[in-house]
Amino acid sequence: MNINVVIVGHVDHGKSTLIGRLLYDSQALPDDKLAEIQKLIEEYKRRFEFAYFLDSFEEELKEERTIDTTRVLFKGQNYYTIVDVPGHKEFIKNMLTGASHAQVAILVVSAPDGVQEQTGRHAFLLHMLGIDNIIVAINKMDLVDYQGTVFQEVKKETKRLLTSLGYSAMKFIPVSAIEGDNIYKPSTRMEWYRGATLIQTLDGIEPEGVSEKPLRFVVQDVYRLDSENVVVGRVESGTLRRGYELIFQPSGIQERVERIRVYPEDVEEAKMGDSIGIVIGSEVRRGDVGGRLENSPSALDRFLGEVVLLEGTLKRGDEFEIKCGAKRTKCLVKEIKERINSETGEVMGENIGEIGENEAATIIFETDPLVLEKFSEIPELGRFVIARKNKNVGAGVVLETGR
Amino acid sequence: MLDLNDLENRTIYIVREVYAEFKSPAVLWSTGKDSTTMLWLCRKAFFGRIPFPVIHIDTGYKFKQMYKFRDDIAKAWRLDLVIAKNEEALKEGVSPKNGKFECCTRLKTEALKKCLDEYGFDALILAIRRDEHGIRAKERYFSPRDENFRWDYKDQPLEMWDQFQRLAGTGTHMRVHPILHWRELDVWEYVRREGMPINPMYFAKNEKRYRSLGCEPCTLPIESNAVNIHEIVEELKTTKIAERSGRAQDKERIFTMQKLRALGYM
Repeated sequence: MNINVVIVGHVDHGKSTLIGRLLYDSQALPDDKLAEIQKLIEEYKRRFEFAYFLDSFEEELKEERTIDTTRVLFKGQNYYTIVDVPGHKEFIKNMLTGASHAQVAILVVSAPDGVQEQTGRHAFLLHMLGIDNIIVAINKMDLVDYQGTVFQEVKKETKRLLTSLGYSAMKFIPVSAIEGDNIYKPSTRMEWYRGATLIQTLDGIEPEGVSEKPLRFVVQDVYRLDSENVVVGRVESGTLRRGYELIFQPSGIQERVERIRVYPEDVEEAKMGDSIGIVIGSEVRRGDVGGRLENSPSALDRFLGEVVLLEGTLKRGDEFEIKCGAKRTKCLVKEIKERINSETGEVMGENIGEIGENEAATIIFETDPLVLEKFSEIPELGRFVIARKNKNVGAGVVLETGR
Repeated sequence: MLDLNDLENRTIYIVREVYAEFKSPAVLWSTGKDSTTMLWLCRKAFFGRIPFPVIHIDTGYKFKQMYKFRDDIAKAWRLDLVIAKNEEALKEGVSPKNGKFECCTRLKTEALKKCLDEYGFDALILAIRRDEHGIRAKERYFSPRDENFRWDYKDQPLEMWDQFQRLAGTGTHMRVHPILHWRELDVWEYVRREGMPINPMYFAKNEKRYRSLGCEPCTLPIESNAVNIHEIVEELKTTKIAERSGRAQDKERIFTMQKLRALGYM
């Protein structure tokens, strides 16, 4: 099983160091990475940092801060794709890029500093993206003499934050990434803690049961092959079988699936995540979504979404491009209902005129017809990106479809 | 092992996005294992025949076996092969002796630039992977380049849930990396599962094999007894040697790879 794990938290709380330590202690690093770091230390007269295993840009190494997200693969009981993200506020867009495919999050909180601005913002954004499973690593325990009382205080503070943001599952581990306590090896300096190490906690993650959802097939393109229309796309949820009667929205076309083509041989059935081609009688359009007659997808032209804006401003009356599945279309900001503090999740004002960079809000959008689902029901079609001048500037989830 | 079906499905999705969203895409092929896998996946995405050109950047310094493999496969898969060669630089006598940075830039990056000018491609599919190099681990699936080929790595696009960046303005092209999330081991497991043809230089002869293929003067074999794909898979499960350890251009100076890539190197 592969699990995507994102490491988040405030700047300098030790995210890259924690991953570097994990890789180092598990001996997952190739020899020439160590040699490269040795060369760096000598050439730039630096002392060794575990973060050097992750940070690769010259600017990152010289300024000792992570600028963009990176991924490393790591094997424990499971396979892990560990996603490191930057902790600075100016790099939230890079953080979200890294976090968008994560299933599990590790929130790093520095024991001497406690909850800080990006601790809250990262936790808020992850929860908005649908991550509910969070492991809190209370780091730099070496700087507070490994005192259980400090751990308890920071744990209480973090727990209060996470609970208010809506998290239900959380675990707390006292660690020192620099010294290696409770990351890969159990600590001998914190007798008062009897819980699992970080790696034991990761290895204990159970695969999530996938509940069967209604079929949603996203149309990417139509190829004309051997005098057949092959509609290519991806099954985003549910199961598709040969012989199914499908309805496509927003085009409204209804057709029977004659063949399911996967090169070089046809298949009888396709499941969630499969990229396939289906042969049907008539042409549908890129961006259409197919489903069965019962539980069919429907196109809507108005919905309530929760959005985080990463660049520029968003005003009432502004037009954006909305992208969901393979569909791109116009959308209009009809009303900004609530402005939300992305550090705490608190509502900061209602029915306001505009929001700025790194701010979040609930918004009523009007759009040209497209298929969207409630994020809580079919997440794959309940999340969207907004773009301006071809540039992705924000991301959101669908709260209400008004159906 | 990552699930090969998941890897394949996501890659095919990305390739089809490129074909739907760009006017004139092309795929780069070095004849090595990764880009040959990339071609294989493109063939799957389009049910047997790749509907856009395949570019081979010919530095003139490739191994003889690479040229043979290229010509055999191009014929068997009916590829629309475009060969990009910087004849001018070769006439000037550019070679690794001028320094690897200069040689890679002139014979690869510049050759590609000329090819783009000539054909007007707006998207290039490349088979780089995150686990090859720390700098490649920083890449996006869709990575815009300006008219000078520059990679603005300090301001990369927001890329969530397979909603990729589009091109803004003219004179630019998009680099697309559909196997970014694959690991070296996954590529070999996939080659084995699919029974794909592969350049025999990857298999050990006299206790040495090539783990990564490049230009003859700058590519060294590693010590290995792996004479077939099964043995390569087993070797990779335990090795501590980095995949590109035999590739000289990465090692010349500490940030060479970043500097090469910022200028448009693959």
